[in-house]
Amino acid sequence: MRPQPGSPWRAVALPLGTILGMAVAWEVVARGADISAHIFPPLSVVLAEGWRVGPTLARSVLRTFIETGLGFILGAAFGILCGVAFALVRPLERALFPLFVVSQTIPVVAFGALVIIWFGNTILSKVVIAFYLTFFPVTVNTHSGMLAVDPQKIELMRAFGASASQIFWKLRFPAALPTIAVALRLGVSLSLIGAIVGEWFGDTVGLGVMLIQAMYTESVPRLWALIITCGLLGASLYAVIAVIERRVVWWRTDA
Amino acid sequence: MSSPDPLAREGAGESPTIPLLKLVNVWKRFGDGPSQVTAVSNVDLQIQPGEFITLIGPSGCGKSTLFNMIGGLLPADDDGSILMNGEPQKDGELLGKVSFMPQRDLLFPWRNVVDNAILALEIEGVSKKEAREKALAMLPDFGLKGFEKHYPHQLSGGMRQRVALMRTFLFERDLILLDEPFGALDALTRAMMQRWLLDIWQRYKRTVLFITHDLDEAIFLGDKVVVMSARPGTIKLQETIDLPRPREASVVTSEAFISVKRRLLEAVEEESMKTFGSDDPAS
Repeated sequence: MRPQPGSPWRAVALPLGTILGMAVAWEVVARGADISAHIFPPLSVVLAEGWRVGPTLARSVLRTFIETGLGFILGAAFGILCGVAFALVRPLERALFPLFVVSQTIPVVAFGALVIIWFGNTILSKVVIAFYLTFFPVTVNTHSGMLAVDPQKIELMRAFGASASQIFWKLRFPAALPTIAVALRLGVSLSLIGAIVGEWFGDTVGLGVMLIQAMYTESVPRLWALIITCGLLGASLYAVIAVIERRVVWWRTDA
Repeated sequence: MSSPDPLAREGAGESPTIPLLKLVNVWKRFGDGPSQVTAVSNVDLQIQPGEFITLIGPSGCGKSTLFNMIGGLLPADDDGSILMNGEPQKDGELLGKVSFMPQRDLLFPWRNVVDNAILALEIEGVSKKEAREKALAMLPDFGLKGFEKHYPHQLSGGMRQRVALMRTFLFERDLILLDEPFGALDALTRAMMQRWLLDIWQRYKRTVLFITHDLDEAIFLGDKVVVMSARPGTIKLQETIDLPRPREASVVTSEAFISVKRRLLEAVEEESMKTFGSDDPAS
């Protein structure tokens, strides 16, 4: 059967086709044009390099994935808790929220060294940096999602005699979920950045470590292989969150 | 009656039973000093058990404020009192005692029809299983049979309104407050829903206070029509409607209906013109 416009097949086929086209274009341009392979290696060379360092790459992906996952889960949990607390206790919001904003204006690189000194050259320091990048957007969106609840719905529940905790669990929290989900998608990408940057400060395994090494040895094919790997890891993490989101928060916010 | 409460004695003189709800000199003012706005002033109203009272008034006349006070969401000013079954109700005491339905359906998009309908029962602590059974038994009466698993965005406006009404009826309180429940519906759906509501009301034997800004609707539904004045809202007149029940759609063309309407229309128009003429933005 011919795929209809808008069918799931077409939804996958179109971006896949684009990627394939770009890959072919890359190969053709890199080989055809008069560019040194040192600056712009063909895709085939990049893939061969990736294959050559396969085992190290696999271990690095696993390591960075664990750091990203832990940082993300902790950051999301902390962000949701803070967002909820800020929405429910306004004095807390006024006291702490500006501090949260200021904390985010400090570039993560600036205090990365401090984190390494505090937490040592361990997985924990990477998790902390990933956490630091994740919690803020989640806090902000949880907070605004909780405040955007239709006040008439709250009144309705009060008229039915609902307690504050019933209003929270049956209304406020589920109503904020779509907004929280948006932040989680953003947060997982930021968390990956946090983990990679954390690895720059020193470690033996991880995508960030491999990136630094490739940079120092000026191994451009390796750099490209790592860039693609990071992209694939980031896209996969994003996709996992998006799929979960579609399952859990499937309703339209305007309804 | 030997009650020391003069209000109760006065009520007993007019009617043999204690009114389900009695408002005595109820006021509501917002703000202080020169910027104070009186939303509701000196409202006296009695509702007997089983009655269907309709309340009509120009927009911004304080109908909804009055409603929120009866629903317990807004404290009335100290001048007067709200009595339920003869008991004066303090601030917040009415919460959970009145089955309340605001203008908008306010359905939760993540809950299906049945789970939206049982919201109030869940709040009361009824188990989900038991509540769902009750709701499922009620679905046919509300024209929602076969739609139990549907979500609000899959329903028409009339159906959503019926889910909201079902939620209100499942919360088994003596008094049901309906705030322009059919205001957003088209005329045909609306007429159908009115007849259907009367049918449901007679079957479930509840007391209803129904707000509307449609005079035909007020007369067609009510045992008594209460006309509110323009802001500050107070009760301008009350008219008992003697049209026989059950009422058919054709009753609106009967001589009796027309003559009641003629009388009430004058009062309603007069108040509407006051609102129209004033430049009060708070409406």
